[in-house]
Amino acid sequence: MSLLEIRDLRIDYRTESGVLRAVDDVSLVVERGDAVGVVGESGCGKSTLGLAIPLLLAPNATVAGGSIRLDGTSIADLDERQLNRLRWTTVSFIFQGAMNALNPVQRIDQQILEAIRIHEPETSTATARARVVELLGLVGIAPSRAASYPHEFSGGMRQRAMIAMALACQPALVIADEPTTALDAISQDQILQLLRDLRRRRGQGLIMISHDLAAITRVCDRIVVMYAGVIVETGTTADVLGRRDAALGTIHPYTRALLDAHPDLHGPRVLAPGLSGHPPDLARPIVGCRFADRCAHATDHCRAVAPALVAVSRDHDVRCHFAVAERVT
Amino acid sequence: MSESTNPRPVLDVIDLVVHFRRRARRDVVRAVDGVSFDVARGEILALVGESGCGKSTIAMAVARLVAPTSGRIVIDGTDVTSVGGRALRAIRRRVQMIFQDPFGSLDARQTVFETVAEPIRIHRLARDPEDRRRRVMAALDQANLRPPERLAQRYPHELSGGQRQRVAIAAAMAVGPELVVADEPVSMLDVSARAGVLRLMMEGRDRLGVSYLFITHDLATAWVVADRIAVVYLGRIVEIGPSPELVAHPAHPYTSALLAVAGGEEHDGPVLPGEAPSAAAVPSGCRFHPRCPRYVLAGEPAICRDEDPTLHIRGAGTGPAHRVACHLAQQDPMEETK
Repeated sequence: MSLLEIRDLRIDYRTESGVLRAVDDVSLVVERGDAVGVVGESGCGKSTLGLAIPLLLAPNATVAGGSIRLDGTSIADLDERQLNRLRWTTVSFIFQGAMNALNPVQRIDQQILEAIRIHEPETSTATARARVVELLGLVGIAPSRAASYPHEFSGGMRQRAMIAMALACQPALVIADEPTTALDAISQDQILQLLRDLRRRRGQGLIMISHDLAAITRVCDRIVVMYAGVIVETGTTADVLGRRDAALGTIHPYTRALLDAHPDLHGPRVLAPGLSGHPPDLARPIVGCRFADRCAHATDHCRAVAPALVAVSRDHDVRCHFAVAERVT
Repeated sequence: MSESTNPRPVLDVIDLVVHFRRRARRDVVRAVDGVSFDVARGEILALVGESGCGKSTIAMAVARLVAPTSGRIVIDGTDVTSVGGRALRAIRRRVQMIFQDPFGSLDARQTVFETVAEPIRIHRLARDPEDRRRRVMAALDQANLRPPERLAQRYPHELSGGQRQRVAIAAAMAVGPELVVADEPVSMLDVSARAGVLRLMMEGRDRLGVSYLFITHDLATAWVVADRIAVVYLGRIVEIGPSPELVAHPAHPYTSALLAVAGGEEHDGPVLPGEAPSAAAVPSGCRFHPRCPRYVLAGEPAICRDEDPTLHIRGAGTGPAHRVACHLAQQDPMEETK
């Protein structure tokens, strides 16, 4: 039984301009100890996907189809009380702005202690206290700083506290939405390192959501690339990065654009071409490939017929009419 | 003082100090703490550093949006540190600023046409309304906002982030500036939209000889876009030099740390311990020494704790100099070239 199994998920938002399908037929499996990175640009549906897993969607969003199973349990069958328990003990969330997610008027150690005591009433206070000390040590917060308030911490320290909080009830799955975006390069590096170590040491499942493909490749062993609500590519990090310089058909042109977008200090000193235009309006019906308008390789066929996600090799799928399966030897 | 080959730089910043007194805390934030550099005509100089290092305060001081505590800002030979009135307005035309958030910097109630036409009107650059319209359309066209006639009628909310930032650039370029101060112009844009905005800056330099002071936290982007890079740490330039040279042969350990992170190299353990101290509590001696791996490797020499290092020239090449502020920079050439 997989830790997380998402099948054909569809999520709609009711907006002023009509119903908008933010997540369209997304399937995703995460096993225990897996680290899966979901990458894409603003509006691609990656955050909606993350929020859907513990059913934390905005009031104007609805699950329009498909299923989410956590540890074999369909979350659609749970009532609000069961969901609340699941949200800390099975799946927890690390948000982008740690300042908004932490309680500003409560000490860090108290907040973590309270999280344990509310969600695990059977755990004794002594055990809970010991766990708080262990968690803070794990994320690199010295015992002398444990009794601080969030505002006394820097951005990097707050993000560490947030990670300790997310691990408080020993969840099987952690979802981290842009965990490093608001941080500086050096602090980012420290947090990515931490996420990597935690996974190795604790065997949790991790879903890291980010627009930053480089950050994801440092932590995750599998990558899901989303564009305009659909998965356009999914594969192991090694597989996807290995296709960086390969021919069209073994990597999605959008993934390649994301890979090229950031200059490579070891490569030529030139600016990548980038992409013109913007993603399609999801409130309107879309004909053909969603990326066609911005794709240098698009043909009339691309503009008329939507491509399916096809396997180019074992465990590596690309949604592109040019996708070709590698010859298996 | 001038480092460029051009005898008169577009911008010359001399010993710039910007301190903020915090009454409630009875302390002083040394945001910019003695910074000198120049920008040649048609040059892009990147100021690279992490948040709180003072790079944005330098930008604001150059654009005369914050008053320096001491030091001088010289634009094309004219000291503008304390000019006001009409002279300040003239400076405001010659020095344009582009901000990080294109949504916040554009007026939501103005069409693109009005946004770009406004600086032309303020600086009285157009002979008549028809001339103004022509200038606006030309600026939009050059900023790749095509077709300009249609884009001109749009409001900011109808544009993508990349388009909004290109409108901000069109408005800045419409008045024919000599220097554009761009403070993190692409960091809020989607990665695929960044290249278009950066390319516009590079075209402005190549075609019109416009100079840029490019503020960014992203060393890799600075390397591609800028001719020279100045690395800023806690209110000081710790290293400055031609971009290819600085990236290939970093001389300051802080530059090396930023490069290791930006280069995505596999490394176990964080590249630097801890976090930058507050600018209200600048460490003694070399301000980087409490986090410096080279200081530890060298056996914690007293000079690093006691003496504030100044920028000194490395190597003897032609062209703009490569300077570094590190007591130990010369002693460890093997590690520097890596």
